[in-house]
Amino acid sequence: MTTFILRGAAVRGAAIAVLTASLTATTALAEPPVDLSKWSPDYVRSIAGTEEFDTAAECGKVTPLDYKGRLTFWYQGVFEGDPDLLRQYYKDFFETFRKTYPNIQLEEQALTYNDLLDKFRTALLGNAAPMAVRLQILGGTEFASKGYLEPLKPEDVGWSTEDFWPGAMKAVTWDGVTYGIPTNNETMALIWNADIFKRAGLDPDSPPATWDDVVAYSKQIHDKLGIAGYGLVARKNAGNTPYRFMPQLWGYGGGVFDEADASPNYGEVRLNSEASKRALQASYDMYVRDKSVPTSALTNQQADNQPLFVAGQLGMMISHPSDYNVMLDLQKKATGADKEKAQTVIDNMRYGLIPTGPDGKRAVVFGGSNIHILKPEYVEGGKVDEPAAKAIICFWTSPEWSLKMAYAGSNPGNLNGFKTKWMKERLDNIKFLDVTTSMLPYGIPFPALPQAPEIMNIIVPDMLQNALTGAMTVDQAADDAAEKVKELMGGL
Amino acid sequence: MTDVTAQSRPAARPGGTRSDLLRQIWISRADYLYVLPAIVVMLVVIAYPIYYTVDLSFYKTPPGLQLKDKSFVWFDNYTTILTSGVFWRVTLNTVIWTIASTLIAFVLGYALALALHREFAGRGIMRAIFIVPWVISAVAASYIWKWIYHSDFGIIGVVMVQLGIVDRPPNFIDSVNTVLPSLIVVNIWREFPFAMIMMMAGLQTVPEQLLRAAQVDGASAWQRFWHVTFPHLRGVSTVTVLLLAVANFNSFIIPWIMTGGGPSNASHIWITHIYELAFGRQRWGVASAYSVLLFIILMTLGYFYVRALSQGERRERGA
Repeated sequence: MTTFILRGAAVRGAAIAVLTASLTATTALAEPPVDLSKWSPDYVRSIAGTEEFDTAAECGKVTPLDYKGRLTFWYQGVFEGDPDLLRQYYKDFFETFRKTYPNIQLEEQALTYNDLLDKFRTALLGNAAPMAVRLQILGGTEFASKGYLEPLKPEDVGWSTEDFWPGAMKAVTWDGVTYGIPTNNETMALIWNADIFKRAGLDPDSPPATWDDVVAYSKQIHDKLGIAGYGLVARKNAGNTPYRFMPQLWGYGGGVFDEADASPNYGEVRLNSEASKRALQASYDMYVRDKSVPTSALTNQQADNQPLFVAGQLGMMISHPSDYNVMLDLQKKATGADKEKAQTVIDNMRYGLIPTGPDGKRAVVFGGSNIHILKPEYVEGGKVDEPAAKAIICFWTSPEWSLKMAYAGSNPGNLNGFKTKWMKERLDNIKFLDVTTSMLPYGIPFPALPQAPEIMNIIVPDMLQNALTGAMTVDQAADDAAEKVKELMGGL
Repeated sequence: MTDVTAQSRPAARPGGTRSDLLRQIWISRADYLYVLPAIVVMLVVIAYPIYYTVDLSFYKTPPGLQLKDKSFVWFDNYTTILTSGVFWRVTLNTVIWTIASTLIAFVLGYALALALHREFAGRGIMRAIFIVPWVISAVAASYIWKWIYHSDFGIIGVVMVQLGIVDRPPNFIDSVNTVLPSLIVVNIWREFPFAMIMMMAGLQTVPEQLLRAAQVDGASAWQRFWHVTFPHLRGVSTVTVLLLAVANFNSFIIPWIMTGGGPSNASHIWITHIYELAFGRQRWGVASAYSVLLFIILMTLGYFYVRALSQGERRERGA
């Protein structure tokens, strides 16, 4: 059963409005294909399946279907924490592309989220990059600001800028120029095990409303049942860490800069503000004071929380709707009593909105991926087959494939994807999709800065680890991280 | 065609004329041609990267700029490193990691080699079993050990809890105090078979008649080891220790996969730190300076390794 916590909506209305404005505000906003002001699960259901799209025909206008060429392409692909369903869609995508463009010799390479940036940076240094690349949302500005990417906007591949979330377009824009196209955008939600809640004396159908409640619930679950309450993740160099900590940081009113404000200018480091320290303190309380989260949080990532959750050893975690499919996959692989136990967990799996901070502020990372074309001088062989690159980009960012490639856990980058018949089918098949759809207006993009990957993948996790291991106090860890960010930004 | 008489000709005298040297080179031209491809390959894949790394170590490479936009800063990167608290912590970790891994793996391998040198039923099977950690991929071994050590449901912790030894699974790799020793155990587990194989090979060369003579003279097992076996294996021991030390100084896979250098940098050693500086934080200049320092240390170890080999050869010729 899906449960939404919408209490106090009026109180938080203003905050939501500001966040929504932040995501939707754009200087040249023409008419988007969907009405973002009406965004709600009901609205999404009402538009699903209302339009037909012919991907081959649309992309054929950009690059003729009989075009002969060669394309090297790297992409952030599936990893161990993704469901099998997604693997199949990736396979289908490349098969369909090859059938549609039989004369394009495609050499694709999948890399996992945590490996892609390092490998791509190394390839760029040796002028051995692929012609096109699909990067995590964090990477767009880093490579655009350094001059590695060709300008590329949705209009170049047959779509319109207004077809995409304005917040996502910011992540591919540097110095007023657009350097890529969003493929998918997503927000996560809170997942909990109702059976564990019940056994711990909590209301099984009411998730924690605030982050302070998360701390209290986690302790209660741990104290009563001896298992981990909340699935904290604090590994360094793992995308899972900022995706789970930043909502907490923003919820408490903190931030790295002012990225959670309506019009951020990243002019002030707020990582050591009182609000940011309160957020860090909450993690400290769960890990050190209450010992109510997995001890392995410092070396593990979300993929390690999934087996804990399906084994009934974890009460709450933050993740995508795809985790429901992951649980089904894990249950299929289990045997004997473990299979039954996993089924009980699946039956008791609930999704809700991410908790708010003490002042009612709810936030979540507006995540996703972008697709880019490289400049020829950085590409192996010194040549970029632009029509071939545009063909695959048109394909991936089409309403059909941007939806299918995000089927289980994300949302289509191209807003027209919400209108397709596959979206309608998805709403019926993918449980708990409504929750993350509802979280989209609360989404905050990572700072659109070239330094963002280092801040999110290294400095923020370091701050968490320094506080949680006792290497530093909470105050010291926050001050240390703020100093590092200032230094990185050139002495802000 | 090789001039087979070249070896019998007198070598150029020290301080001989330049034309003598050129004549010698001309005489041995075929030999030089044979090794030329290897020298070219080495220049491309070793010498140039070393030159480039040394060069880059004198540049500031801001992470927000392309590498070509670097600026020359003389020795600033070296100063930055040597005045950084992280450097000394990482260096201490590296020293502990290298010394502990090398010595314990060597002693363990040596002891097992001695035990397996004796004839007994099942010796072949035991040898094969002990070699297994060495032949397993380091990546696979790291993942296996990560699960064995898992702080919530690792097999060691679960067994200890079930036996009532502890209330909670011990924290092996998520604590700044235990992470490095825990990784060292894994490294020793991976490396002791190498030491064992080297020492077993060395034991084959200990003259049996010397051991028998010592036994006839009434020497105890310990005395036979200490006065006959140990001195005889000094050369192979030195080489083994040096090879292990170089390998451990250069370790990357185990700490990177198991902890990524964490938590809180407690398991960062030089190579993992250099990797993070370069590829995670794009401080190419600082990372290069680190690499140059590491190169100097390893070259020093390499010098002793070559010297040990040369001494061994001289001893063999003398014998």
